[in-house]
Amino acid sequence: MHKKSMQGHKTGGFLSRLFKIKLLAGLWTGKLLLIITRLSGRGGTTLPGRIAQKIEPKLTSYLASLLPSGTLLITGTNGKTTTSALLSGILKEAGYRCINNQSGSNLSWGIASSLVAETSLSGHLREDMAVMEVDEGALPGVTGSMKPRGITITNIFRDQLDRYGEVDHVLQKIKTGLDLQPQDGFEVINADDPSLTGIQAGQHKKRWLYGLELDLPEDTFENTGRDMKACPHCKEELQYEKLFYAHLGHYGCHSCGYKRPKPDIRLMKASESVNGVTALQIELPGETAEIKFPLPGTYNFYNLLAAVATAKALDIPTTLITSALEKSVPSFGRMEFFEAGGKTIIIALIKNPVGANEVIRTILNQSDKVNLLVAINDKIADGTDVSWLWDVDFEQLGLVKDSFSGLYASGLRAWDMAVRFKYAGFDPGQVSIEENTEKAVRSALEVTPPGSKLFILPSYTAMLEIRRTLNKMGLGKPYWEE
Amino acid sequence: MAGIKIYHLYPDHLNLYGDRGNMIALCRRAEWHNISIEVVPVRPGDKMALSQCDLLFMGGGQDSDQQMVAEDLKKRSSELSSAVEDGMVIFAVCGSYQLLGSHYITGSGEKIGGLELINLYTEAGTKRLIGNAVINCSLWYPTKTLVGFENHAGKTYLGPGLKPLGQVMIGHGNNGTDKTEGAVYKNVIGTYLHGSLLPKNPWLTDFLLEKALAYRGQDFIPANLDDSLEEQAHNAFIKLAGSKKHKRMSTRA
Repeated sequence: MHKKSMQGHKTGGFLSRLFKIKLLAGLWTGKLLLIITRLSGRGGTTLPGRIAQKIEPKLTSYLASLLPSGTLLITGTNGKTTTSALLSGILKEAGYRCINNQSGSNLSWGIASSLVAETSLSGHLREDMAVMEVDEGALPGVTGSMKPRGITITNIFRDQLDRYGEVDHVLQKIKTGLDLQPQDGFEVINADDPSLTGIQAGQHKKRWLYGLELDLPEDTFENTGRDMKACPHCKEELQYEKLFYAHLGHYGCHSCGYKRPKPDIRLMKASESVNGVTALQIELPGETAEIKFPLPGTYNFYNLLAAVATAKALDIPTTLITSALEKSVPSFGRMEFFEAGGKTIIIALIKNPVGANEVIRTILNQSDKVNLLVAINDKIADGTDVSWLWDVDFEQLGLVKDSFSGLYASGLRAWDMAVRFKYAGFDPGQVSIEENTEKAVRSALEVTPPGSKLFILPSYTAMLEIRRTLNKMGLGKPYWEE
Repeated sequence: MAGIKIYHLYPDHLNLYGDRGNMIALCRRAEWHNISIEVVPVRPGDKMALSQCDLLFMGGGQDSDQQMVAEDLKKRSSELSSAVEDGMVIFAVCGSYQLLGSHYITGSGEKIGGLELINLYTEAGTKRLIGNAVINCSLWYPTKTLVGFENHAGKTYLGPGLKPLGQVMIGHGNNGTDKTEGAVYKNVIGTYLHGSLLPKNPWLTDFLLEKALAYRGQDFIPANLDDSLEEQAHNAFIKLAGSKKHKRMSTRA
């Protein structure tokens, strides 16, 4: 395979040498900072990329240009991390060597850090391809510098509004990102999300669509953000033949005739899950595939379809896709299981109402009493505004308040969460409040009866803290190794 | 049993910053105080029998929805205005609060008319005013604090004689300069604070319920509720919002 390196940089003479010096200076500084931040025990950092990029602003675009098989970007409100992981698994199975970023490093500096980490001191890259998850707000910038071959968009829900403003604004960022993509590239989008299918496709770009064709029980959760059920063209309320959750489903507009386009990749059947494994039947262009998929929940079926569609856009044989997906494991903090002396700890990151509601659905499916700990911080990476907790349908849990053996509110905003529990229908006396996440995890685990489950629902930085606690207790790997 | 009717205005469009929490708080506390409560969702184009309404709740919306809401509401502005003069309760948050005023001046200098229910106007700012906020509110004597989160680009200025909801202790308030936050006119309360606002400020929730009952000619007989959890959450918030360490942490990228 053809490999480019710094020697191949086009402009000759002084400017080229200056670029080379600045690039190496940026690269080495970045690598040094990476070592320092790792030694200090804090992974997922943006600082090395930030400084490296400051020394040589073209660093990201130069390093991306070295990748012979190009870059794939994954964006959207929910499912970025899992979709990226599933896709990377497929690419690995197909023999590609991929660079990935961590979910906490999905802004442009974090992506620069991930590239710096994989580049040799002489400025070479061994990998063929980059698969990067990108925050929606950072998509235009990252697309501009990495010139991705493919952009995969999972969905748009309401997210951390204090950072990116409103859904309209996020949608605008995604449109701008798609416009900046090279015209010979491809895009992969969720056919069941009307806000995405409403985006005008690029003239020369191939668009791949994926969607569900299942018969699921009707969504009874109170989801706000029903405004997203407006027709992307005429703003009339969309009619749904099937509604899977939030605004995802089979929709059509009575007023202007707009309707869900037929997907290229369709999930036709999902069996009852046995030991967490679901048998899926997927229709691809000209063929049908059966996959025994180990990740639970409808939202993970969407993640799977997004990965399959992207892999098909890259012409990867279906047999490789299937065998890779059957080996899937949960991503960092996404329904991760830990065993602790006969007790099971399940960590499920929550960061916005739709995602949290999906986690609540999983808890409601438990047949035995469970222990529940919700840990909410309000740092930048969590979202500094915790209003969204009131849009999560915790009332569904309050309706079955006796199915909990214990209830904990923790994190910097433990008190907000405790009030949320009270107004969701729990007795205030049921709720233990402990701001310190380490103490909360330890005491919640202690009172969890052997053989039963402790669900931990943390916000992002609370999850990092809790992972550190579990590491201390000898459970799980340090997170920067993820 | 005493009872009130709450009109929830455009719940599908005005629900941006956890406004659902305000409705949950009103409903729960009404239930705990033995007040029967009926929530009537009002959707665009619906017939709204304002004579039946005791408390009108308007949440925050996205810019694109805001315009639709404004146009729909303007058709009812005279009806709204007389209800306000009669003492109907309105609780309006963020975008809806701006809408209560006379006009909004956009970034390009365009003037968009409001409902003219209270004497204030808003102009587009260049920088969003975002963060935790604590205000000292004079709806009570002695005053009580209200805590919430603000996130607005518009800067609101109160006309002569219009009272603010409170004085800013922490945060930006109406416009980031004059230290006022929100506005109170008769039983109309407008504010930039969400968070959600009502759950952690139970005295404001009860104030709204009491005024709505009074408008219906009924007495508010409060039940003896244990609000210690809400109070602790309120106080923990004030401590957090005032902490320099927390401020650094929550502004660091």
